[in-house]
Amino acid sequence: MENNLLRYSNKALPKRINAAGFILMISGFSFGIIAYFYDAQRALQNYLIMYLFLISIGVGSLFLIALEYIVNAEWSVPIRRIIEFLASLIPYLIVLALPLLIKLNIIFEWTHIAVVRDDKVLFDKSPYLNITFFVVRAVVFLLIWNLFYWLITRNSLKQDTSGDQALTKRNIKLSAVFIPCFAITITFTAIDWLMSLEPHWFSTIFGIYFFSGTIVAALSAVTLIVVLLKENNYLHPKIIDDHLYSLGALLFGFVNFWGYIAFAQYLLIWYADVPEENFWFMHRWQNGWWIVSLLLIITHFVVPYIVLLSQPAKMDHKKLKFSAALLLCAHILDLFWIVMPSSQNSSFSISWIDFVFPVAGIGIVILAFSYKAKRENLLPVGDPKLERGLNFHL
Amino acid sequence: MDNKENIALDYRYELPVVEGNLKKSDIDDLIAAPLEKKANKNFYISLALSGTALLIGVVCIAITLFNGIGVWGNNQPVGWAFDIVNFVFWVGIGHAGTLISAILFLFRQRWRTGIARFAEAMTIFAVMCAALFPVLHTGRPWLAGYLFPYPNQNGLWINFNSPLVWDVFAVSTYFTVSLVFWYIGLIPDFASLRDRTLSKTKKIIYSILSLGWRHSHRQWQHYEKAYMLLAGFATPLVLSVHTIVSFDFAVSVLPGWHTTIFPPYFVAGAIFSGFAMVVTVLLFVRKIFHLEQIITLNHLEKMNKVILATGMMVGYAYAMEFFMAWYSGVPTEQFVFINRAFGPYAWAYWIMISCNVLFPQLFWFKKIRRSTTAMLVIVILVNVGMWFERFVIIVTSLHRDFLPSSWGMYSPTLIDFGILLGSFGLFFTLVILFTKSMPAVSMSEVKAVTEGAQPQHHGVSDHE
Repeated sequence: MENNLLRYSNKALPKRINAAGFILMISGFSFGIIAYFYDAQRALQNYLIMYLFLISIGVGSLFLIALEYIVNAEWSVPIRRIIEFLASLIPYLIVLALPLLIKLNIIFEWTHIAVVRDDKVLFDKSPYLNITFFVVRAVVFLLIWNLFYWLITRNSLKQDTSGDQALTKRNIKLSAVFIPCFAITITFTAIDWLMSLEPHWFSTIFGIYFFSGTIVAALSAVTLIVVLLKENNYLHPKIIDDHLYSLGALLFGFVNFWGYIAFAQYLLIWYADVPEENFWFMHRWQNGWWIVSLLLIITHFVVPYIVLLSQPAKMDHKKLKFSAALLLCAHILDLFWIVMPSSQNSSFSISWIDFVFPVAGIGIVILAFSYKAKRENLLPVGDPKLERGLNFHL
Repeated sequence: MDNKENIALDYRYELPVVEGNLKKSDIDDLIAAPLEKKANKNFYISLALSGTALLIGVVCIAITLFNGIGVWGNNQPVGWAFDIVNFVFWVGIGHAGTLISAILFLFRQRWRTGIARFAEAMTIFAVMCAALFPVLHTGRPWLAGYLFPYPNQNGLWINFNSPLVWDVFAVSTYFTVSLVFWYIGLIPDFASLRDRTLSKTKKIIYSILSLGWRHSHRQWQHYEKAYMLLAGFATPLVLSVHTIVSFDFAVSVLPGWHTTIFPPYFVAGAIFSGFAMVVTVLLFVRKIFHLEQIITLNHLEKMNKVILATGMMVGYAYAMEFFMAWYSGVPTEQFVFINRAFGPYAWAYWIMISCNVLFPQLFWFKKIRRSTTAMLVIVILVNVGMWFERFVIIVTSLHRDFLPSSWGMYSPTLIDFGILLGSFGLFFTLVILFTKSMPAVSMSEVKAVTEGAQPQHHGVSDHE
């Protein structure tokens, strides 16, 4: 597709990327099925980690798109398609949720009627934590995300041919409605899928904690892909280091935000030290888990903080790629750190099962991205803010 | 949406920050006018009103110092009341200024230039008001020096485990950095005023304050670097101050205080109340000093959007606390929240909910976001609501805790109200004096965002 005004033509991604994604997904899932028969609980816990990782990237990307519209940003317009492609994970989430919804009882203690009956606290929670309501919530959230994904990206795509400014306006309105919906759905996603793994535990900040990780993961994925595409000349030549700087600065900001939220949650629970809530952190320290706790702080905060702190680092391709890739791993580690110690009497161990699902997850991301990249413009050519975005300088 | 609005908004072009083709010299004239003209009757009337309020406060503080804090309504079990409510309220107000000047600077929001100076001044005055209360609350303010850790003959050492001490460091650091940041921003403007003024005394004062500024290239280069660095320093401070204020409550084991959402929730609330106060005052300032073209309706609308967003964050926190109280299964936790909403202080709770969560929802409508009357009503309600939020958090959690035998009620005395009034007096007296003694809007920064002032970067190659 050629657009003379912008001197831009779409360059197709090489086929081997699609193939790589396919191989990763198939091999990940086939080993995953073996893992399920080998150790069903561990396999399903890891599947949950993968599922939430994909939510983080897909739904987090949709949030980034909404953010661009609502604050009327211009610098991110030329790379918005890349974020939209990542958000295209959202429709697949419906299918990916099925194995979890069918086998809830393997990882969630509160699904066992006998356990709930003998436990006063769990019994009192059963109006919220019961299988029917849980499934209803999960489905409703998926439908909300899909609805907004479909509406917002459809308008964006339509603009490629029509260039109609009213579509931007419509998307701004949709984004304004989506953001509160996002806040609520992502919070209860965190409560349902993560917090209820240890159903006695509670923390009011937990939704924000998951949100902060979500945005870090989505931004990292976007940054990594933008830098890779730029280095291989897939992007418009006017997308320059100043755009990368903005991405780097946002990433740096959200790394700090994650650190802030994680620290706030830890400090308050540690300081008050009441038995209703402190056990959660003890499960993540005792039995060898302290290694993961420390590794999480280092990979999710300390290293990216130091790497991205200086101004030139925020547009340094190498440093951006390194921090983005590290943070994606750190987000998986974060989910691992939340999910794995929740099963009873688990001491820290690593199994081959812990690697097959992230591999499948990365495969899915690559497949979803390259599927969209083949069919749609890599630049939102009809967006009225595009020219401002391309001429953007710090 | 009417058609006129649709045509006016063209996303291909950025909206001008300054409206109505003001020349650069017009901008200087407009901003410097209040400093160069003689004060009129209205100035003295408003100064007299706020001065009276300040005096009432001074008298009430004197009574407190003479008799001790027994003249307040504080009692057992409500040991923290108006003193701490007012402290948190004013610290919260003091969050908008540095947020606008530092964080919006890092976000490259050019519209901040019109309002940053005034908001920063309000920050500094609000923090001054805030600092008054914990010092009075200690009962013996003349011993406040011991709050700083220094080796002394009495062998007194502070308790570093206490967030109350962290407060001392957080607030004083915040105040210092905000003051320096504000002053750095003022230097080029003081130089402009020095070059404009005809009065000898003013010239001497402005010359000293402008530190020999000559508007040279090299000076600007250093200035911009310093400004950027200070913005970087100030940003974590904005977030840390109210975080630490929230720790005052959240590190305890008291239901209603101990909850992990407090730090981000307090920060959102502080920005919410701070922006509401900035809008309240700016609505008058832009009218009185004819700054409508510099502090435009677009500015106010953007601030109202921030108020809407932060108001919803605060609403999210209220809801999350309530939900988690139920979900936790802890009976005292559940009781505290039921007691908040339906107990003897339910009226305060519902004032808080309606002012902070319900009324700001009106800002979803563009017409209301752009109507000065409507927004004035809403932002004042927000100020009221945020004061009550702190009242609800502090008093309702304290008055009924674990032991029903030690439950009690709290009612403020006249002295409590007098000091609260006095803090408003202090704040507005300082604000009014500020408008007559310093440029209320940054002259240099506003000129830098007028049409044509920005470099266009035509040199960059766009060949493939």
